[in-house]
Amino acid sequence: MYKWFLAWRYLNTKLIALFGIASVMFCVAMVLVVLSVMGGFLDTIRSRSRGLHSEIVLEGGTLQGFSYYEEFGAYLAKELPDVVKLHTPVIYTYGIFRVPATTFTKPARVLGIRLKDYVRVNDFQKGLYYDRYYPGTTHLGPQALPVAGVSLFGDVRLPEDLERANDLWREGEMDPEAIASFDEQPFEKAPYPYVTPVMPSERVYSAHVGEPTYKEPLHDGVIVGCDLIHYRRSDGHFDRQIARGADVALTLMPLNPSGNPTGEPPVRLPLRYSDDSHTGIFEIDSLCVYVDFDMLQHRLAMDPQPLVSGGFTRLRTNQLLIGLWEGVDLNDACDRIRVAWRDFYASLGPEVSEADRRALGFVEVYTWEDLQRPFISAVEKEKVLVTLLFAMISSVAIVLVGCIFYMIVEKKTREIGILKAIGASGRGVTSLFIAYAGAVGVFGAVLGLILGSAFVWNINAIQDYLASWNPSLRVWSPDVYSFDRIPEIVKSADAFWVGSVAIVSSMVGSLIPAIIAGRVWPVQALRYE
Amino acid sequence: MSNPCLTATGLHKTYKMGKADIEVLRGVSLHAEPGEYLVITGASGSGKSTLLSILGALDTPDKGTVTFQGRNVFQMPSAARNAYRNGLVGFVFQFYHLFPELNVLENVLMPRMVMYGAVKWWSVRRQAKRDGAELLERVGLDHRAKHRPKELSGGERQRVAVARALINRPALLLADEPTGNLDESIGAGILSLLARLNDDGQTIVMVTHDPKVAAYAHRSLVLKEGVIHESSEPGSERPVPAPVGTEVVR
Repeated sequence: MYKWFLAWRYLNTKLIALFGIASVMFCVAMVLVVLSVMGGFLDTIRSRSRGLHSEIVLEGGTLQGFSYYEEFGAYLAKELPDVVKLHTPVIYTYGIFRVPATTFTKPARVLGIRLKDYVRVNDFQKGLYYDRYYPGTTHLGPQALPVAGVSLFGDVRLPEDLERANDLWREGEMDPEAIASFDEQPFEKAPYPYVTPVMPSERVYSAHVGEPTYKEPLHDGVIVGCDLIHYRRSDGHFDRQIARGADVALTLMPLNPSGNPTGEPPVRLPLRYSDDSHTGIFEIDSLCVYVDFDMLQHRLAMDPQPLVSGGFTRLRTNQLLIGLWEGVDLNDACDRIRVAWRDFYASLGPEVSEADRRALGFVEVYTWEDLQRPFISAVEKEKVLVTLLFAMISSVAIVLVGCIFYMIVEKKTREIGILKAIGASGRGVTSLFIAYAGAVGVFGAVLGLILGSAFVWNINAIQDYLASWNPSLRVWSPDVYSFDRIPEIVKSADAFWVGSVAIVSSMVGSLIPAIIAGRVWPVQALRYE
Repeated sequence: MSNPCLTATGLHKTYKMGKADIEVLRGVSLHAEPGEYLVITGASGSGKSTLLSILGALDTPDKGTVTFQGRNVFQMPSAARNAYRNGLVGFVFQFYHLFPELNVLENVLMPRMVMYGAVKWWSVRRQAKRDGAELLERVGLDHRAKHRPKELSGGERQRVAVARALINRPALLLADEPTGNLDESIGAGILSLLARLNDDGQTIVMVTHDPKVAAYAHRSLVLKEGVIHESSEPGSERPVPAPVGTEVVR
């Protein structure tokens, strides 16, 4: 009993133990922060990667794309109806994004999608801004500029269909704070509302004095990555730079099936800013714009084009996203679709042109994990490396605990002698000091976990606060780390392991002094005062 | 001679001091009867404390045996020797050697805590606390149970040390210069306390450099140059023990 009793009493009365507790605490906090941020980073990459793609992707691997994708989709529906839920083609290319009313020009990765199907195979819809508050109003077809009406008394009213959509959102929104937040900040000012404004309306629309209305001409809609077009404030929110429906433009370079420019001048597309997308991955949000698949296919000359030799080229796409039924095993499905693709490819007859056949030869079937594996495994290695590095640095705490306990044992030699004189064994005295170190470890670990967790939970707020004083103190750059916010989640398993290792390390650190204590010869210890 | 409680036979002990060997004990033999109050006197450096440490199994002799209630102490396994120090003998040191972090009652209970593991302690702790409180009352310190050693006078500390030595009801109390660090009047109080304990049947072996202390003993021995030189029969002019607590002079 004396071991636990004395360990507890020493912990309460010895100031020097506080240094041991402090060293364990800071090391635990440091490792927990690193592990949580890196682990959160990895988890975010995984979940976002999953949300970016469909489960299975048929990847063309070239900018000019591949043909026969519709036929393969039909083949899948016939051969694997229990596996494949739906499929949707995606075209990707590169272009120049402009806001004609300003001098704003940026390079962009242009994705042609069929929005209704696209949002069914991934999480794209979750990141749409206007679609959240005005559900169902985001589309990529031809559309006019919505203009809010503002009365002389300042009452703002959007066109009726938008107001109805907003009411729908209010009825369906389960989070009252979201509604309160929406109502509290109805006027986020956009510098370029396009229509001469009385005041840009809620969630940034153009406005004028008069009835709410739509102004033509009609242009195809475009969804723009939020970091491409808006300015991100230090608190993570956006200053919206243009109002919904504003004119934007894309300039594209069509390629023929061989991958060469068609020889036609670049295509200039007038578009209407329909919504913006926030995937949370900076490389995507700062680069991608989304337009209608069929329109883009046509503009890029990936629809049937007359051949000099007669006949027409075939429809082309760059990817075929394949969604699976719930409960279907991803890897098993991928294997089956690979086999299906090989069978389909082998079944193609001699009518397939040489260029098409060459492009089809590049096509590969991937799971979403395969597509992101190089990046994910790199981050996994980085996580292990950084955690190991900080764990090594934290091992200094073991040495420190060892030094502290050596000092304690030196100071307590006489008391060790007394303990032995009243019958304590050498092993008992050793275990007393190990228990003492364990108690130091427990307290240090608990405090470290509290400190580390509090830091991780508030890490973005801390960074925002520091950045508000000095922007150079913003250590997490979304350009570098892909995500706009630092992961803020502490996993209980991580906390458990970090705390446990800290407690064991603390005990290990005390081992040598504890053994020395156990070997103290009572006569020597008690001889002199 | 009746059945002795403690017997030491031919004890030898040599210390190394640099290159020189110093023979501290040179064939010391003695015995203590149950209920006896034996005092061993000697000059400073005569080997008294070494002898007491060997009798209490805090140290080992180079040669010779110590037999306690018929068992050779140095042939016991180490666990049994720990149990001997814990339950069969009680130590009182010149410098009290109390635990500064513990209060008086906790200091007294410490040997009992050493005796039991955490689980067993849970079932015996109430009895142990009662025993501790009773002992403190017996040494006149029941009102000081919650005080730390630094809040006590030298005499009070030594009485706490006596109570601690007795908590496991040892058959033998070994006292090493218990008054050596105290004023004469306070020391007299401690000696009175030990005399009263002896009157109640406690066997005591005490070493001291002060020949006057021998007056309290039944029998005294003189240790000189590592050898027991003379002995006297139980004293007939033993002082009357003073009431508990009267020796506390600040």
